[in-house]
Amino acid sequence: MKLKRTLGLAAALFAATTMSAMAAEKVKIEFWSNSLSPKFDGIMKDLTAKFNGSQNEVEAKWVDVDWDAFQPRLVAAIAGGTVPDLVNLPKPWMDQYAQSKLLLPITKQIAGFKNNYTVGALKDVTYEGDKQIYGLPWYQVTGVLFYNKDLFAKSGVKEAPKNFTDLLKVAKQIKDKTGVTGFAPKLNDGFAGWFLYDGLPVVKDGKAVFNSPAHVKLVEQFADAYKSGVIPKDVFKLQFEQTIAAYGAQKVAIFGEGPHALKRTKTDSPKVYEQTGVAAFPQAGGKTPFGGYLFLWSVPKGAKHPDAAIKLGQFLTSDEAQLAFAKASATFPSTNKALADSFFQAGAKSNDPVEKALATAADSIKVTTTLTVSGLPDESAMNKKLDESIEAAVTGRKPAKQALDEAVAFWNEKFSAAKK
Amino acid sequence: MKTSSSYTAIAYLFLAPALILMGIFTFWPVGFNTYLAFQDYSLADGTSTWNNFAHFKYIAGEELFHNALKNSVLYLLIVPVIQLSALIVAKLVNNKLPAMTFFRAVYYIPVITAISIAAVVWSNVYKYDGLLSWFLQALHILPQGQDGQIDWLGNPHIALYMVMLFTFWKGIGYYMVLYLAGLQAIPAEVEEAAILDGANVFQRFWKITVPMVKPTILLCTLLCTIAAMKAFQEVVVLTKGQSDTYTALFYVYDQGFGSNHNFGRAAAAGVVVTFFCMILAIIQFRFFGDKK
Repeated sequence: MKLKRTLGLAAALFAATTMSAMAAEKVKIEFWSNSLSPKFDGIMKDLTAKFNGSQNEVEAKWVDVDWDAFQPRLVAAIAGGTVPDLVNLPKPWMDQYAQSKLLLPITKQIAGFKNNYTVGALKDVTYEGDKQIYGLPWYQVTGVLFYNKDLFAKSGVKEAPKNFTDLLKVAKQIKDKTGVTGFAPKLNDGFAGWFLYDGLPVVKDGKAVFNSPAHVKLVEQFADAYKSGVIPKDVFKLQFEQTIAAYGAQKVAIFGEGPHALKRTKTDSPKVYEQTGVAAFPQAGGKTPFGGYLFLWSVPKGAKHPDAAIKLGQFLTSDEAQLAFAKASATFPSTNKALADSFFQAGAKSNDPVEKALATAADSIKVTTTLTVSGLPDESAMNKKLDESIEAAVTGRKPAKQALDEAVAFWNEKFSAAKK
Repeated sequence: MKTSSSYTAIAYLFLAPALILMGIFTFWPVGFNTYLAFQDYSLADGTSTWNNFAHFKYIAGEELFHNALKNSVLYLLIVPVIQLSALIVAKLVNNKLPAMTFFRAVYYIPVITAISIAAVVWSNVYKYDGLLSWFLQALHILPQGQDGQIDWLGNPHIALYMVMLFTFWKGIGYYMVLYLAGLQAIPAEVEEAAILDGANVFQRFWKITVPMVKPTILLCTLLCTIAAMKAFQEVVVLTKGQSDTYTALFYVYDQGFGSNHNFGRAAAAGVVVTFFCMILAIIQFRFFGDKK
């Protein structure tokens, strides 16, 4: 009996030692998500545990980094040689890092399973400069219109706008009838995306071309809206949270965002949530809604375990994991199979705004692309010049044509200098 | 019996902890930054090559940097205002009246308030329909209705001054405490003698207080000037460099950690800012320093 117990103890000890030795041999990798904590802690911990449970050789550690701190922290980590193995970037940042050669191209590594992803998502993770793939597509969002039905009724607006000109007209009607700011367009991230939304090129054959009459007309539309108080006075500073707060406080009647945005209204302003109507974001010349944004997983240069990182990236962007995350966050997956899941259309006839928004967005997600301009030789200075010029034009400090001419001249100087 | 050399050794021993920390966290980064300013540094592979002053040549001709430097120099306007106000406030709270400790604490609270929290509050104050517009409309200084609603941080003509006002609010308490220490070192007899001689409040302030706190004025002005030249945090949290509030140090940050990832150019701009700080420090020592 004593011998049996001793042998049992010895076996348990041996097993524990072996297991801990095996655990010690595991490759440890760290991956950074972008501003998901604390709202999505549950799903992220769950996905991390599932991945770790499925692996004998790799152990992943999840870290969430806040949006504002993400880039400084990543750049500092790369400079300091303490690079995370996998990072969650939005498409425009991926372009910047790929341009600076701070990411590993993974075209070869994902060749075997890249067709799982949608064509649009694959296009987004391919950097135009060298046609290499720098990311594994993850969740994506697209803009839908949220509007306050009560304010619509008070203004005599019968139905949601079908095109962008209508949208501005409806917003003006609301402003005139109720005094409430009609529409909060997303302008804090720069204006180049609005040109692309309208199907207007920003750069063509290595030259800036955003001062054509059509470009001027679009900017003038915004300037008119600003002048008449149809869009907020601080529209260039309104960020994601502030726009939602303004809508929740009934200071804005219409805004365009992904369905996930309204989750905050549901908890913070339940009365406004109840009277929220949902419509597709009207498309313009670019044949895509405004507000499309893809998030992806990239391997930074200097990562110690790129193969393990890609294995983790493949898991996180698999059909099952993407579907689980999309359900938890009211976003969309970027794989063909997950995107076809009936979950996304379930709310088509629902009265719940988030469910309805998901179904509405599901229709437009397939034609959504991230509207961004990449590969600029001096992105900081060029974007700053464009943004300042647009702001001057929209706020009425400069005629639109003059502002755009100045910005185009500045951009073309930078392009010429880069060629020398 | 201890020799002078053993005293020196002991002195260095006491200095060592501070010197080691300063060496690691101040002198080494400054030295490395200066080195980087003359190099093309590749963040991707960590290599650097001498570039024959290319970064300095570039920023010498770059409108964005000139504008940033102009804004930083403009920011120096805050220095005399904040110094004079801090000295007056220190003088006021130096009175032996009830509730003085309370007032000292009130003026100091902004100093210890986290800048991010303070920025959230001030962003709402500066909002076009926020507290400042409401207050000025209530006093009928601004027209009523939407015409009087000013986007204080969105208008490039005033945004920088609004950021400076925030710096003023945040910093006055710090300098007040330093001045308070200076004021408390002034012997009471000097002021009493001046009162007996018939000097009024203003005469006593300019002829006694100011000359006697001159070393503190030098210290505070120096610290304030360097802080103004290095204005960055308040810009990040309030405007992110929009509306012509882009300062020299914001340029440094934007070049390094923004979309360009150009550490060499950022370092060169940093060296230029340091150079300006040193020039200003020399001028201030000439003005306020002891003449020997």
